[in-house]
Amino acid sequence: MIFIDKLASSLEGVPVFVSAFIKKIECLPLEEEEVFNIRLSLEEALINAIKHGNKLNPDIFVQVSAQKEGGSLVIKVTDLGRGFDFNNIADPTRPENLTKLNGRGIFLIKKLMDKVEFLDCGRTIKMVKFLKKEAESENQRRKT
Amino acid sequence: MKIREEKLNDAVICILEGEININNSPDLRKAFDGLIKRNEKKLVVDFSGVSYIDSSGLATLIEMFQRLKKIGGALRFSNMEQKVKNIFEVTKLHKLFEIFDNREAALKDF
Repeated sequence: MIFIDKLASSLEGVPVFVSAFIKKIECLPLEEEEVFNIRLSLEEALINAIKHGNKLNPDIFVQVSAQKEGGSLVIKVTDLGRGFDFNNIADPTRPENLTKLNGRGIFLIKKLMDKVEFLDCGRTIKMVKFLKKEAESENQRRKT
Repeated sequence: MKIREEKLNDAVICILEGEININNSPDLRKAFDGLIKRNEKKLVVDFSGVSYIDSSGLATLIEMFQRLKKIGGALRFSNMEQKVKNIFEVTKLHKLFEIFDNREAALKDF
């Protein structure tokens, strides 16, 4: 396990928590752009979990874990809410939704991570980033 | 995030520095409130110092775009670094906003 921690359900703590997370994954072979995308995805997942899952209740927590599984970084964010219908998310890029102020968080996560799954009725979001640099070095090693 | 304003003829250039996130998006909204109160209608947001933006930052910009549109004003963006521009492209907001390489081009477009 690379990271395991919990965050009280208050939005103010999100950027600091995410910065601490990013420090922990510095040891992984990731490009700057991949770190940027992981950071933004984690922040969006935490905001959703705190706002929509835990309803901003500072007495309850959001759980975050990250581990390396094979050639991937797997991040899980879990809230204590009622879950949601993750199969029915509006596309914020449709012309009629473009000027809406909300509804971009999950869309961004899906675009910026390599694989996204919802578990436990949507209470947990599992986000995967393939460690491409590691795979490339492994391929190179095999060739030589 | 630091927010600095420069007035150039009838336009205002809003120069942002740092990260636009859930904690400081309200500060940006406050700065925009001030511009609306002063009846400023032409706004260029210079992103040259912006290294990060999240969905709360995007929402604040969309809100300002709509407020300016309502009063017959216009919003232009300039000097975005590629990783920030990518967020506008992924969300297709580059179709809603006018994004220019530099301030001069943005100002010329008014």
